Amino acid sequence: MNDLIKYLTLSDPNVRYVALAILLLGGVSGAVGTFNFLRKKTLIGETVAHSMLPGVLIAFMLSGVKNPLYLIIGAAVSGWISIWVVDYITRHSKIKGDSALAIVLSSFFGLGIVMLTIIQRVYIKEQSGLDNYIFGNAAAMTPEDSVVFGVVSLIVLFVVARYYFSLKTVVFNQDFAQSVGINTKWIETVIRFITIISISVGIKAVGIVMMSALLIIPPTAARFWTDSLGRMLFVSGVFGAVSGWLGAYISYSYSSMPTGPWTIVMISVIAFVSLMFAPKKGVIFQRWSKLLVKRRMNEENLLKTAVQLEVRGKGKLFNRRSISTRQVFDQRLWNRTIKRLRRKGMIKKVHTGYTLSTEGRAIGAEIDRRHKIWEVYLQRRMQMSLHLVHDEADTMEHFLTPEIEVEILKELGLCSRFNPLLEIHEIVPEGA
Amino acid sequence: MDAFWIIITGFLVASSTGMLGNLLLLRRMSMMGDALSHAVLPGIVIAYLISGSRASLPLFLGAIVMGVTTTLLIQFFSSKGKMQSDAAMGTVFTFLFAVGVILVTRFAGEADIDADCVLHGEIAFVPLQTSSFLGLNVPAPVWTLLVLLLLIQVIFWWGYKGWMITSFNNEYAQSIGIRTVLWHYSLMAATSVATVVSFESVGAILVIAFLVVPAASAYLITDNLKRMTLLIMLQGLISAALGYFIAEWVGGSISGSMAVASFLQFAACFAWFKVGAKKEG
Repeated sequence: MNDLIKYLTLSDPNVRYVALAILLLGGVSGAVGTFNFLRKKTLIGETVAHSMLPGVLIAFMLSGVKNPLYLIIGAAVSGWISIWVVDYITRHSKIKGDSALAIVLSSFFGLGIVMLTIIQRVYIKEQSGLDNYIFGNAAAMTPEDSVVFGVVSLIVLFVVARYYFSLKTVVFNQDFAQSVGINTKWIETVIRFITIISISVGIKAVGIVMMSALLIIPPTAARFWTDSLGRMLFVSGVFGAVSGWLGAYISYSYSSMPTGPWTIVMISVIAFVSLMFAPKKGVIFQRWSKLLVKRRMNEENLLKTAVQLEVRGKGKLFNRRSISTRQVFDQRLWNRTIKRLRRKGMIKKVHTGYTLSTEGRAIGAEIDRRHKIWEVYLQRRMQMSLHLVHDEADTMEHFLTPEIEVEILKELGLCSRFNPLLEIHEIVPEGA
Repeated sequence: MDAFWIIITGFLVASSTGMLGNLLLLRRMSMMGDALSHAVLPGIVIAYLISGSRASLPLFLGAIVMGVTTTLLIQFFSSKGKMQSDAAMGTVFTFLFAVGVILVTRFAGEADIDADCVLHGEIAFVPLQTSSFLGLNVPAPVWTLLVLLLLIQVIFWWGYKGWMITSFNNEYAQSIGIRTVLWHYSLMAATSVATVVSFESVGAILVIAFLVVPAASAYLITDNLKRMTLLIMLQGLISAALGYFIAEWVGGSISGSMAVASFLQFAACFAWFKVGAKKEG
């Protein structure tokens, strides 16, 4: 608890920079990743982050010092080249994006490994700490680093605000963007630019893989909560920032716990919770709504069949056996459906069987009516043969809304009081 | 003799992973090698902690289990959660890698293990592990990889029709009664086994490269499956040899050099493809 207070009040100067820097990094990469995610280039960050290794090492060899600024520039240049190569390969051959990413990743990183082994042999003393650019080391961050992160966040914020409309258009529909005169090439360059600067400053703090995770996971989680770009940018940024903050806290309060990996575990937990529990798009919600539809279909089928039996003069009393002559219900399904219908007051129990209430009869008749409307529509407009239309209509009857129904009746030239008792084979097809 | 065994090892890895890479390329899952190489880390660490030894069998089993778990998780995320498949892949493997790194740092004090040694097996050590068999002094990894190659070849030629049809048109395959999910999982399982076996002897980066690059280059040059297979093997041999000599020359990592060499070959094939395309049209 003491730790938490100390952490939250930032009274410990060591943690102040790390926490602030990781928070900014998480927020920025969450927002930047959103653009790549929506363009279905989610894994580009992984390739770019790996491809920065040779650039970092060349900058080190040229300058002979580990000045972060030189190394960041080196990283950015080689990251830029890697994106260019990926783009060139996909544009000028039949090789698809994913293969191009893997090809560039493995060759650039392979080159980096070759250079690293040479450097470790030649610059024995000066090289220590270079492997931070692979595995990351948040604890080694300095006040200057958090200033750098702050500047990068401002740049990204400015760029996104400046080009917001064009970015939005390009992300959702490239062709449309082109047709309304947006310079899509320039916008692509803008997306590349923000991707590269955020990765190049980030890898030293959290490492290559954790950096690409920060670009991948926050937008993936945010996508479950919203459909609008603006909100998604915000949610994704907040998810990234919050997990960075939590990661830094765990690393602060437990000894020898790395910041980067804990940040990723936190954001993964957020992503998993979103996947399961998000309203509308979450797995549980989807399961639940599917179940509800299924229940409604069973209820409606039962009511419809009872009405059909009544109309055909089979009496008002029905039970499982009489219903099952037209619509099969097994015992369990029957019991459950009956229970729900009784609770809703759609049917009543009458010693040996059940009868429809006025309400239940109205619904059953309505479903039957929609069934027949759809059958007629399929037969007349889709030219489907008689024996096929019934099964199709059995599903559609549950989903026809009154608005569609009106349209269909208009289209078929039938009056809105289309007789539900009319059997399909009594309708003479047009032109016959 | 060392050079010979190292080059043979590279060749064997390229030939077995390249065959699977061919299929991954068609399914747009080329980043699977990268994903698996990171995702198996927690499996290896947990196996190490349970068995308490660095013997390769438990670590291998841990990696295989984790590899299969990874593919199941990715499948769950993309089918049940309706995520884009690349986002599902990225989320799963980075999460597992993070867990692995946390485990490694947590137990680093008590255990002789680090992310570096697990992920970056070094091909240069292959000749050191010789074992005698039928009077031949052959390094143990070469035997393992030879068995792997034979296995992959058998599986590939047995199942390529199923994988082809499910890669090109999944819906169609489903509609004529092919169990597409089964095919998908069998390919993923084969990929997990092949990559994990190869990591151990040559390191992750070379596996990622050999899984994709030879297959992609062959794909540029020919559409004929048999020719593609031969080309993949040929490229594996050339990349391994060329990479070895580059490494000797500059004095750097052999695995890294082989990855770079295979890229150089890809570039050559690309140029060939471009020239051919220009002539035609």
